[in-house]
Amino acid sequence: MSTTQMLKGILEGCLLAIMKEKEVYGYELAEKLEDYGFDSFSEGTIYPLLLRMQKEKLIASELRKSTAGPKRKYYAITEKGEEELEAFKERWQELSKSVNQVLEGGKPGRPKGGEKK
Amino acid sequence: MMLFQDVSKKSNDFLGELRVYLFSSGKNEKEIDEIVDELHDHLREAERKGKSVEDIIGRTPKDYMKNVAEEMQPDRKQWIKYMFLIVVGSFAIDIIGKLKEGNLAYSVLQLSGHIGIAVLFVLLVLIGYKHLTGASPKKQFFMLLPVAMMPIIAFVGLIFLDRAVQTPVIHFGTWGTWVVGGISVLFLIAASVWAKTWVLIIIIALLNLPDYLLSKTNLSLEYRSLASTAVLMIGLVLFMWLSNKADKQKE
Repeated sequence: MSTTQMLKGILEGCLLAIMKEKEVYGYELAEKLEDYGFDSFSEGTIYPLLLRMQKEKLIASELRKSTAGPKRKYYAITEKGEEELEAFKERWQELSKSVNQVLEGGKPGRPKGGEKK
Repeated sequence: MMLFQDVSKKSNDFLGELRVYLFSSGKNEKEIDEIVDELHDHLREAERKGKSVEDIIGRTPKDYMKNVAEEMQPDRKQWIKYMFLIVVGSFAIDIIGKLKEGNLAYSVLQLSGHIGIAVLFVLLVLIGYKHLTGASPKKQFFMLLPVAMMPIIAFVGLIFLDRAVQTPVIHFGTWGTWVVGGISVLFLIAASVWAKTWVLIIIIALLNLPDYLLSKTNLSLEYRSLASTAVLMIGLVLFMWLSNKADKQKE
């Protein structure tokens, strides 16, 4: 897995988590990601990702009139998407645990150890 | 020309290029409209907050377009429909032009050559436009010039080849000519109604009126065919893009 692919996987998980809260449109999604501190990637990256997630039926979209006037595409998480979100959470938990252990200099196989800097 | 009034010129250029790129990659028109609208919406909001196209798209626009295109399925049915319309349409126009010369007759070589040239031309236009993305206007001109010249040269070649090589000739007879001529007229009227445009009718008038007037002079047949073929092919492409643009403006 390349770095960009890994980042895409993480982004995908985050998008699903945001959509689980409520239906959102593209710009709103990008803003939310920025609010959470994702600011090193270009916002447009989410659109090819959203297209793929729709193809994989993780999310569904609907064109709706917004209060501001223009029609907007709103995205919502599907059942399959929720399952994927749960799986992502588990994967992420595992991964971050391992990474933390490495960074904290703990011994392999132990939940916690070593001294914090 | 500015497609969207509420975003910067750079954003406009990007959105226009994205549309052409996806269109010539054979994507579904409805899906193209959706993603272009979505990005337009995004760019407008982002520009309001002082961000630029680069902040949104990153990298080079072409890479971004490729990324988007990779996630969209090509719509083959739509392209078969366009091919069919162009091949049948160009034949219909050709047939109407020939009606005044008496009963219809086509050699097998003429038939297959005509279809081959029309299909090849559409493919070349698509490939040409796809590779034009991001090129300078000068480069665009020199890339499209051979594409525009191809059918003219090919049709002239076909005329000479048809004389040199004998292939079976299909004669339509009086009734056959009436039927084929009638179908052609109906097809063109139906296509005009469907596309809600006068363009086809204008092209036919453009094709046949000068031709008819030219026939009063003593210019050779080759010159007349050359002129009508050029107008035909260029006109068809114009029709395609114009009707596409008209659809867009209606929304």
